[in-house]
Amino acid sequence: MNGTGEHEAMLDLVAVAALGSLPAGELRIVTLHMATCAECRAEYDLLRPAADAVGLIAEEPIDTLRSARMKKRLLAAIAPAATRRASSPGALIWASSLVAAAAVVFALISTVQDIRLRSDLANAQRSEAQLQTRVAETQQTNVNERAMLADLFAANAKRYPVPDGEVVARGSHVYFALRALPALPKGKVYQAWTLAKGAKTVAPSVTFMPNASGSAIVQLPVNASGLAAVALSVEPEGGSKAPTSKPTFIQPLS
Amino acid sequence: MGREARGIMEDGARLMERVRARDGAAFERLYDSYHRLVFGVALRMLGDATMAEDLTQSVFMKVWSSPEAFRYGNFGAWIARVARNRALDVLRSRSLRDESEIPADLAEPGQLDDTVFARLDSERVRRALAALPDEQRAPIEMGFFAGITHDEIAKRTGIPLGTIKTRIRTGLRKLRVELDGAVSR
Repeated sequence: MNGTGEHEAMLDLVAVAALGSLPAGELRIVTLHMATCAECRAEYDLLRPAADAVGLIAEEPIDTLRSARMKKRLLAAIAPAATRRASSPGALIWASSLVAAAAVVFALISTVQDIRLRSDLANAQRSEAQLQTRVAETQQTNVNERAMLADLFAANAKRYPVPDGEVVARGSHVYFALRALPALPKGKVYQAWTLAKGAKTVAPSVTFMPNASGSAIVQLPVNASGLAAVALSVEPEGGSKAPTSKPTFIQPLS
Repeated sequence: MGREARGIMEDGARLMERVRARDGAAFERLYDSYHRLVFGVALRMLGDATMAEDLTQSVFMKVWSSPEAFRYGNFGAWIARVARNRALDVLRSRSLRDESEIPADLAEPGQLDDTVFARLDSERVRRALAALPDEQRAPIEMGFFAGITHDEIAKRTGIPLGTIKTRIRTGLRKLRVELDGAVSR
């Protein structure tokens, strides 16, 4: 980030991120920037609670019947969950919803003989199945991204400055949050390396390419608590079993 | 929220401690105190009472199944943000709107909450928001409740994008100062 004007523009984006109104693409840019900019991170920490407080004004009166119906549904749903905690309440809701949906479907099939209706119903079921698959995929992506972002900005995350960014470790997770990585010639990739505690040689980890602006946030698929150090090097496409070039950095994890 | 509702709203953080111990009565009281808030957020964002009802159910089920998700801070603000994020998921998954118009959120709600605001109530927030100039208050409320991005706010208001971003930042900074003042009085 160069220049006061550009940084002020970034601070404006940080405020929009605190409100929760940035599209995903810009949010990634802001996230990457905040990983290495204390001023912007402090601005976010200052503004986010104020933005969260805005939600408090939303309370709406609900008519008594609706309120009672909602409460009855909820208490009925948690009753089994309270005694069988191994079952996911979320799954129970889905299960009960699916059972209800199935009952409706069977009732329709048994009472309505119209072939066209059956065909429409089959089509609708296929569409619903596809939609549910898409919903599940989207939800999983959201969960993964939120978990990663929560790690990157957690107050208790350990941050290790490295050239062009930081290594961030929290709990069992470890990330490279890098920016302005040099572009690589064709056929080359960046590769992460890990050194387990007590080990004498590094183990190969993920390969990756930064985006057009040289930024990359990469989670290493390894338990951080067992690591003594991490490193980065440039390797041939497909990765190497052992480093073949001088490391871009070697960072001990204390 | 009216005076009566504020009077009966119990301290959510305290009730959550009991919910973690699987206290069903505490959960029921939590629901009694906060379901209007969750429903209100959902209704504003989804514009459909039935969907808002389903979302309210899903948010409280999440509270029951993962009570550790709330750690500290203002419970009302936390659950309102949870409801907002769930509503955004609904908008996304049901393709009710172009995906590019739907914002993303950065952190799991609650993780960045400020304990200073733990006992902040809606009346104080309403007063603090009312103290902002309309040009700052409006984009903040749109950003939170309309479930749209800053680009979309700019399009809908006809105000340049850069101006919208600056007004949101200036407004949130003033709101922070107002709320700091409110909780210290």
